[in-house]
Amino acid sequence: MRSSQTTVFLLSILMMSIAHAMGLRSFVALPVEKGGAVGRMQLERNTDQDIERSTVNLAYGMRARHTLLFGLPYRLSPSGPDRLGDLSALYRYIAWQVDGPARTHRLGLLGGGIMPTENSRDGAIQGGAVATFYRQRYEWDLDLLYAAGLSDRPDAARYDVSWQYRLTPAEYPDWGIGAEWDLVAELGGRWRENQSTVHQITFGVQWISQRWVLEGGVIWDLNDPHHTSLLLSTRLHL
Amino acid sequence: MKVLRWCLVIASMVYQVAISAETLEVTIHGMTCAFCVDGLQRNLVKLPGVERADVSLKHKKARIRMKPGVSPDIADIKQAVIDAGFTPLGVTVIPDAQ
Repeated sequence: MRSSQTTVFLLSILMMSIAHAMGLRSFVALPVEKGGAVGRMQLERNTDQDIERSTVNLAYGMRARHTLLFGLPYRLSPSGPDRLGDLSALYRYIAWQVDGPARTHRLGLLGGGIMPTENSRDGAIQGGAVATFYRQRYEWDLDLLYAAGLSDRPDAARYDVSWQYRLTPAEYPDWGIGAEWDLVAELGGRWRENQSTVHQITFGVQWISQRWVLEGGVIWDLNDPHHTSLLLSTRLHL
Repeated sequence: MKVLRWCLVIASMVYQVAISAETLEVTIHGMTCAFCVDGLQRNLVKLPGVERADVSLKHKKARIRMKPGVSPDIADIKQAVIDAGFTPLGVTVIPDAQ
């Protein structure tokens, strides 16, 4: 019973859309230029429960501080019904922004909804906040999001704390935008109504160029260290 | 003849000045990683009259080269930086390279 409950909960976590993130799993308050878009394809595999899913995300810059975030997960395995997850749509408004020569501090507000892709499921209204603190080679991202389920859909919530450090280059070139390698460490929690909160820690690396990001990591379930997931993702500036 | 020659020399100098390209540097705050500033470079290149735009994360600047004979619109350039999500500060005109 405990194993099947765990499987269901893990499935529900994996089907929660992540939307646009510069951390591996966290949201960020960094900009998408007006009229610009960033696409992301992510693969995640839970090695213990043999669950695989892909998620497609899109971030669109409406104006300088206004961004639309979309996410749609799809379960690759196990087979069966309800493989297509629900569409998450969020509007991110940067309410506070302080920029310096080699730093930026930003606070964004998130609001939107979850639209079911199956008639048998209900939607949700979601709201939260995201903050980014960047200085020199370090970046901190924090997010908090609550989804109030409609009708029979249970409420859900998440938090993330992400830390990124630029491994190389130690110093940027005088002119031009080169590639860089970043180290990522994240702590995240996922809660669903009538379930206990799952706390997870993620370690990974990112290769970041002007138009592409390639990244990967390992996710450990702190509630049960035997539960691990592998994550692989790519982003493209469209 | 001598007068005509001097007139031709002066006319060519004026012509060279008229078609020379301007280069500007904009100081920008808030830039973080390579992926984040791609949008800034795209915005700047799209501006009318801009021949080339380069970004320096090291110096926190963007360098914009205008097409010959085209004067830059500083307000448009600053707005392009804002639209990319960053904060523009001072704009410096770099004398055209010899």
